[in-house]
Amino acid sequence: MSNYRYKLTKELAEHFTDVQLEIEESAHGVVCTVPVESWLEVAKTLRDATIFQFDQCMDVCGVDYFTYGEAEWQTDGVSSTGFSRGVNAKGPGRFSWHERRQEAMPKRFAVVAQLLSVPHNRRLTIKCYAPDEGMLMVPSLVDIWPGVNWFEREAFDLFGIIFKGHPDLRRILTDYGFIGHPFRKDFPLIGNVEVAYDEEKERVVYQPVSIEPRVLVPKTIRRDSRYVESMNDQETS
Amino acid sequence: MGVVDNIIQPVVDQGFENKGFVTTTVDALLNGARTGSLWPMTFGLACCAVEMMQAGASRYDLDRFGVIFRPSPRQSDVMIVAGTLVNKMAPALRKVYDQMPEPKYVISMGSCANGGGYYHYSYSVVRGCDRVVPVDIYVPGCPPTAEALIYGILQLQKKIKRTNTISRTS
Repeated sequence: MSNYRYKLTKELAEHFTDVQLEIEESAHGVVCTVPVESWLEVAKTLRDATIFQFDQCMDVCGVDYFTYGEAEWQTDGVSSTGFSRGVNAKGPGRFSWHERRQEAMPKRFAVVAQLLSVPHNRRLTIKCYAPDEGMLMVPSLVDIWPGVNWFEREAFDLFGIIFKGHPDLRRILTDYGFIGHPFRKDFPLIGNVEVAYDEEKERVVYQPVSIEPRVLVPKTIRRDSRYVESMNDQETS
Repeated sequence: MGVVDNIIQPVVDQGFENKGFVTTTVDALLNGARTGSLWPMTFGLACCAVEMMQAGASRYDLDRFGVIFRPSPRQSDVMIVAGTLVNKMAPALRKVYDQMPEPKYVISMGSCANGGGYYHYSYSVVRGCDRVVPVDIYVPGCPPTAEALIYGILQLQKKIKRTNTISRTS
């Protein structure tokens, strides 16, 4: 039971012959990338087909692949004083609004849903890239799993992905009247406004942000998957 | 009037007189009433609130100091801002503060309430609750221990005892 992944991968490939699925199997589970046109159809089949029965959707979230893999610290080039300082370039989130990077990137936003099949005791991650044609539009899963209602509202709030067919697509987490989608990588971490109490107006008012962005990620050196490969290269060379 | 340490007997020779009267100053009486029943507004925002609950629970027992948490700002003397104050909460916090009757005090508990703390560079967090309400006592820590909060409350009591409502000379 513990290693269901191979079987699930095989069943997915056999069942969805007419859909272009990208199935990736790893120790962490099975990830299935679905074209956005087939998103609803695949999800419905995964819920209803007897061999899958993914009757629960545990989570839906957005992903922004902009600046994916860029780190704040340069960990190459060790000196006697340790690794280099924080990089000077504008790292993820470390810029003000007018300095943000504006580059077009295909396949930038994705929607990821985590499914659980209780009858088969197995899990599956399905993912689809949101097509960027002026507006990020992905069909809503709310008719298949009603519980994803707030998950999709969250993804809309933080990434600006619009879920077509969602009954109540409002912001859920950010401030009333908030502008922008803060989990987008071109959104400055320090934001654009801050609040303060105005003695004269006798209410809390918004002001332009007064602080400067800076390196925030602590310098931690680990032998994790990102560095192990480069370390091996250094050792052999 | 000198430094008041014992509010029942503020000045040495003002103890029990021979007829069974107690004499004190109005200031000392007012300050005694204020410091002896600091009722805080139950206003927990984040994990600091759990530490505030510990201070209120049986081991540290804030009731001993006359500190009883009230569910309404109208009945409160002090607001303990326990946790991260976010932009969305700031108008609500100010409204609660405005609803409290005078005299009112604010204890800022923990790094987040003091100056944003861990979330100082965040887009959604107020960088210190003193941007929204006037703060009397800052309790440092992340979160401060229950002892630290009690120490802060005792410091606030000391601060209140220093004020003179009636007497203008000090």
